[in-house]
Amino acid sequence: MERQHPISASFHGSMRSRDSSSTIGSDPREKIKDCFRKFIAFMFTQVGVGALVVCYAILGAAGFMHIEKDNPDEQLEEVKRLRQNCAEALWNITVNVNVFNETIWVLKVNEVLRLFQNNITAAILTGYNGRSAQDIWSFPAALMYSLSVFTMIGYGNVVPKTVWGKISTIAYACFGIPIYILYFCNMGKVLAKTFKWLYITAHECSRRDDTLFEEGGIQPVKRKITVPSTACLWVISFYILTGTIMFGAWEDWNYLDSTYFCVISLCKIGFGDFVPGANIADSADGSHVKLVINFIYVLLGMGLVAMCYNLMCEDVQVKVRELKEDLKNCLDDITLKITVCMNDTKYYHQKQSRSAK
Amino acid sequence: MPRRKRRLASRIRDYVRGLLAFLFSNVGVIVLVLAYTIAGAFMFQAIEGGGEMERAQNMTRARDNTAQHLWENVTLALNLFNETELRERIGMEIKKYQKIVVTAVHAGWDGTRSSRQWSFSSAFLYSLTVITTIGYGHLFPRTNWGKVITIFYALLGMPLFLLYLTNVGELLARWFKCIYALICLCRGCPGFTRRRVARLRPQYDLSEAESIERPPAWRSRHSESEGTPELEGRYPRELPRRPEYIRSISMPQPYDPRYRPPDPRQRGWSEPVAHQPGSPVSSDFSYVTFDAQSITVPISVCVAIMVGYLLSGSLIFGMWEKWDLLDGAYFCFISLSSIGFGDFVPGERVYTPRIETSFIVCSLYLMLGMALVAMCFNLMQEQVLHYIASFKRAFKRLSRCKR
Repeated sequence: MERQHPISASFHGSMRSRDSSSTIGSDPREKIKDCFRKFIAFMFTQVGVGALVVCYAILGAAGFMHIEKDNPDEQLEEVKRLRQNCAEALWNITVNVNVFNETIWVLKVNEVLRLFQNNITAAILTGYNGRSAQDIWSFPAALMYSLSVFTMIGYGNVVPKTVWGKISTIAYACFGIPIYILYFCNMGKVLAKTFKWLYITAHECSRRDDTLFEEGGIQPVKRKITVPSTACLWVISFYILTGTIMFGAWEDWNYLDSTYFCVISLCKIGFGDFVPGANIADSADGSHVKLVINFIYVLLGMGLVAMCYNLMCEDVQVKVRELKEDLKNCLDDITLKITVCMNDTKYYHQKQSRSAK
Repeated sequence: MPRRKRRLASRIRDYVRGLLAFLFSNVGVIVLVLAYTIAGAFMFQAIEGGGEMERAQNMTRARDNTAQHLWENVTLALNLFNETELRERIGMEIKKYQKIVVTAVHAGWDGTRSSRQWSFSSAFLYSLTVITTIGYGHLFPRTNWGKVITIFYALLGMPLFLLYLTNVGELLARWFKCIYALICLCRGCPGFTRRRVARLRPQYDLSEAESIERPPAWRSRHSESEGTPELEGRYPRELPRRPEYIRSISMPQPYDPRYRPPDPRQRGWSEPVAHQPGSPVSSDFSYVTFDAQSITVPISVCVAIMVGYLLSGSLIFGMWEKWDLLDGAYFCFISLSSIGFGDFVPGERVYTPRIETSFIVCSLYLMLGMALVAMCFNLMQEQVLHYIASFKRAFKRLSRCKR
């Protein structure tokens, strides 16, 4: 009993304070509360969540850019050194070996080149890609990087090299993934609602004439309309087709490659073998626009995938229910038939035995 | 005769139903995922394995070409004794050659490896990274057919893996709850339970006495006007600082027409406990039943499990691959959150024969880890729902007080 008193007292206290605040009639306070409530409600709507995701991505991009850009790139220096060593070795060969003996010269040069090639391969496999940190961590690339972190795509063409970059990536993912999932759910719901509305409107428009003819304008009992999964698949394949043509035109990929890229991105697999704007031969400026557009494409595509997921879940549920009912009816029929059959045979047997008697 | 026939039909139906149920049960799903991955591994190996020799030959040809080019264009054409110019030209040529090497490596050539790239174990890891949507990218299909098949393999495999995750996650959650209840809460040993009930006994009597004090109707009438004290007394479940598990065992349930006990399957509420004042003490212990599924595991435990798994993984891979601790933890996190950059992949060492077993270990680590993460999410979700429910109840009570 004693334990309960403080809490009840605090309840009383809180009640009193609330009462007093309302009785004093502080309208501005209520207004502020209302505003705050509205703000929170807005933050959880699709626009708010979308803005939140974009803001988070931009924030992350700025952060990662700041962390990674100052990283002195040792690998670049090392590759340069390797190249100089190679040139030195070649010069030595040219000086030492008899120049007019082609076969020996070519053989020795080949040896040097093989060494150089192995070193370069090792450097590439440990992360060298011919660009300095300043080049790699441009703002759009960092934006793409943070997107690939919190959407769990993980292209892997740009990776953090510093210790702090790795730690902050882990922390960034820990907070970013829930936000992204919120976005995914929200966007899915909203898009699904919109798409369903569109579908139903179109459906009714196309059917109105028939019903008017048949029943004189009186609509029959409205059945709950679910969007068929084929419609969702059409939407998704249309989106992928758009992406295919877009990226194919920009990046000079063939259509299979860009379809592959779109599917791998939208499925969140993200191998990173094809990434727009990651071509070494490209100039830096052109790739920036592409990266931003890729950012938008992926973010929208994820929402679209969520929508389709939502709609297809609904459709599948309805289908499964129908299937279950059908199955039940079918089973009932069969049992009925069997029982009838059995009764008949029983009857027949009885009759026979009776006649035998 | 017809009876037997019917029995046979029903038996067949039972068999089919049992088979389907088994396929969608835990073991079946695990087997299905494993079989799908192994089939994928064989398929990708068959498709992608062919082109490797060709790439190696291409590289050799490029090197020969460069040497020839150096000989013809540089050494022969230039004055040999002008060192600076020669060096400049050679540097340019080598830069060109370096670019060729870089593009070749990006297109899949990976140095002079003794073993083949698409061995069975690496193909297994590849198909696992496809269906788990990790996608390291250390291996990727180069042929057109490989790409097409990867697309369809992913489309079919991802729902399968989701099924695996939900199924195994649920199973693990159930097991973990049992273990947690047995070990951490000592729910299994009878002596502990008896002692706890004896300890709780005075509190029961207290609340019971209070409930006897006034008739319920009167009480409910008055509590509305009076406010909190009675209300607090009426819900002994909400007693301050009473530990979670005590609430969940058994609690004398005060009479209140509006108050319904929560669903026993969801919350920690064992059998309906009608506490009779006259009953002997021993009957108290009879309803201290042990139901492991009714408890919820706190979030901190789930987080601790995930962090522990991550750290153990980082230790294992760190030892094996000679990564430092941060790199190992980073690799495990990036893998388990299905981001999968692919800058660290076990078994992918440069110029050492790759260790085939590490791919398999990595695959097993991933499959188990993903299921474990799913389990933790399952438990955490339950706990959060529980929190929300209790918060709602408290809020409702608060709003009732206001009137």
